[in-house]
Amino acid sequence: MKKLWRFLRSMRFGILLLLLIALCSVLGSVIPQGKEIAWYAQTYQQVHGWILLLGLNRVFQSWYFIALLVLLCLNLSLCSLVRIRRVVREGKGEIEQAADWPIQTPLTAEEAERVRTHLRAIRSREENINGVSVWHKNRIGRYGSFITHLSILLVVIFGALALYLPRVTDRSCMPGESLTMEDGTEIYVDAFAIEDESGTLDYNSWIRLTLPDGRESGLKQIKVNYPLSFGNYKIYQQTYGTAGSITVNNLDTGGTDTFSLTDTVFLSADGRDGVWYDALYPGYIESEDGSVTLITSSSGHYTDPVYHITLAAQGEYTPVLAFPGESLTVGNLRYDFNEPVEYPGLRIKYTPGAVNLLLLLSFLLMIAGLYITFFLVPVLVKLDETGCTVGGPKPEGLRMEIELLTRKETDT
Amino acid sequence: MNVLFFGSLLLYFAAAVLQFIGTLFKKDKVAKIAWLIFLAGLAAQTAYLLVRGVTARRLPLSNQFEFATAFAWGIALMLLIVRLRLKADWLSVAVMPMVFLVLSYAALQPREVTELMPALRSAWFGFHIGSAVFSYSAFIIAGCVGLRYLIVSKKGSADELKLHQMDYLSYRMIALGFLLLTVTILSGALWAEQAWSAFWTWDPKEVWALITWIIYAVYLHLRLRGKRKGTVMAWYAMIAVPVVLFTFAGVNTIMPGLHSYG
Repeated sequence: MKKLWRFLRSMRFGILLLLLIALCSVLGSVIPQGKEIAWYAQTYQQVHGWILLLGLNRVFQSWYFIALLVLLCLNLSLCSLVRIRRVVREGKGEIEQAADWPIQTPLTAEEAERVRTHLRAIRSREENINGVSVWHKNRIGRYGSFITHLSILLVVIFGALALYLPRVTDRSCMPGESLTMEDGTEIYVDAFAIEDESGTLDYNSWIRLTLPDGRESGLKQIKVNYPLSFGNYKIYQQTYGTAGSITVNNLDTGGTDTFSLTDTVFLSADGRDGVWYDALYPGYIESEDGSVTLITSSSGHYTDPVYHITLAAQGEYTPVLAFPGESLTVGNLRYDFNEPVEYPGLRIKYTPGAVNLLLLLSFLLMIAGLYITFFLVPVLVKLDETGCTVGGPKPEGLRMEIELLTRKETDT
Repeated sequence: MNVLFFGSLLLYFAAAVLQFIGTLFKKDKVAKIAWLIFLAGLAAQTAYLLVRGVTARRLPLSNQFEFATAFAWGIALMLLIVRLRLKADWLSVAVMPMVFLVLSYAALQPREVTELMPALRSAWFGFHIGSAVFSYSAFIIAGCVGLRYLIVSKKGSADELKLHQMDYLSYRMIALGFLLLTVTILSGALWAEQAWSAFWTWDPKEVWALITWIIYAVYLHLRLRGKRKGTVMAWYAMIAVPVVLFTFAGVNTIMPGLHSYG
């Protein structure tokens, strides 16, 4: 049992886990993920059975990949626990202990002075312990490795929570309309534009969020990279679309109604005669003989929009093209074809609790941990007129520097 | 503008060739000339990046050409700093060809200045991509130091202290690259959450950045805890370079994903 615990917290096990995670990642990047099963059967005819059996079509959601991450967390937890105990123990009274070290590198008085000057230049502090000179610096560096490992553990935990806890939905909303979420939160879209003031392509929505408790975000502009964050909600400018806009006028009653249309719909008073809205096309090309070819795709504005509709009158159906500004009358209804309406596709993300904040703090801790580990290397040197001893957790760099300093002396 | 770009490419080529000759035949004067030519190349490339940045009114880091150009510049700048700080003249012969090769790759990419697409208009743009440039550059320098170590250590008369210095420099460059790669990955995660709503999407570029991170994490563990040094780690630093290059160029070329910006 003891052996197992020792293995679970060992660096060897940690490295093994990291390499296995890397191997799974390679497979997950080489084999396209999350496709239809038929796609794998067609693309990897010989081996698709193995791919599906081993879950290589969903590596990052597979049980073995998650197990590797769990084991990595276990390894990090155990090694962090062991490490902090050792680091604290070794750090206690290290300066006093350094005074008792035997001299390892004999130096001449001149070399010792050179080393002293160097230690002063790198801003080490000199402390006199019972008449012995001990130089030290960056004692926090001892804790860098612990902080780094702890932060990696936190990043994996909070990262997993941030990945799996949020509820994400994609919804479209016409300008001037609202979306209501399950919990009663209301998202009102005031306006949408696909170009900024200078005419540069930039997708902007102006939205207002009202939480169930009545708190309001106020009208805010969102665009790609700049979502609205309010309460536990984040609203992203995700996509956009262009809808047809038809105003229907009842010639008998004088009533009017304007519809923003994205899907096929039948606009009629009696369910028999009326207009079938089929689609809106961004433009068209008219040839010399007068025939019209419709353009089906466009990025940005619809430059020459065309409505493709079907007139239904007395049991007859006639396909017709209509342009913005035109009107058609069927029975007692007049249909006015307006300029199309551009609308945003919003991504609505609800993250419970303070997961994002905790993840951000873990990120900062990780950067700090790595910086401390590699750039605040502890210095601990016993130095007298006969020589010096370099100790501490990472003496390699300073030992080399001192060797170079003393060699310079020899060379000259 | 093209004159500056191709001028720097030619200067780097000439510097790499002269440096090789200078090192091979132990001609210090030739090596010195190579260094001066290299500095001229770096100056021309710096000017090119500045002009391009001013023309585009943004940091020139938005597509494969600009990233590769900045990457070559990052390697060259790091060589300059390391040479000046550590007087590591021996490094030039290994690094100069890398600068030339990376810039040659850039030369093969479309060079027109394009408007920054909405997805890249973010405060994270310079931070995320800039840290990636210097991270990859540090790994390349480490790999070059590893190569030089292996060549020098083959000689029977190799100076132990010099070898140790190389070994330590390679480790320090990897430590720097690792810190910067961590900054790249974490800032990328924060940016992804702002742009795409998820910190991590297992996009090929993210996955390969993670693989690169793991490879160097293993290096650092072996070096720091396992006390492995010298030849083994020099080989490791060198063999890891293709992974960095694949993460930089290969992923964008053969694995389309959210990071495919042309």
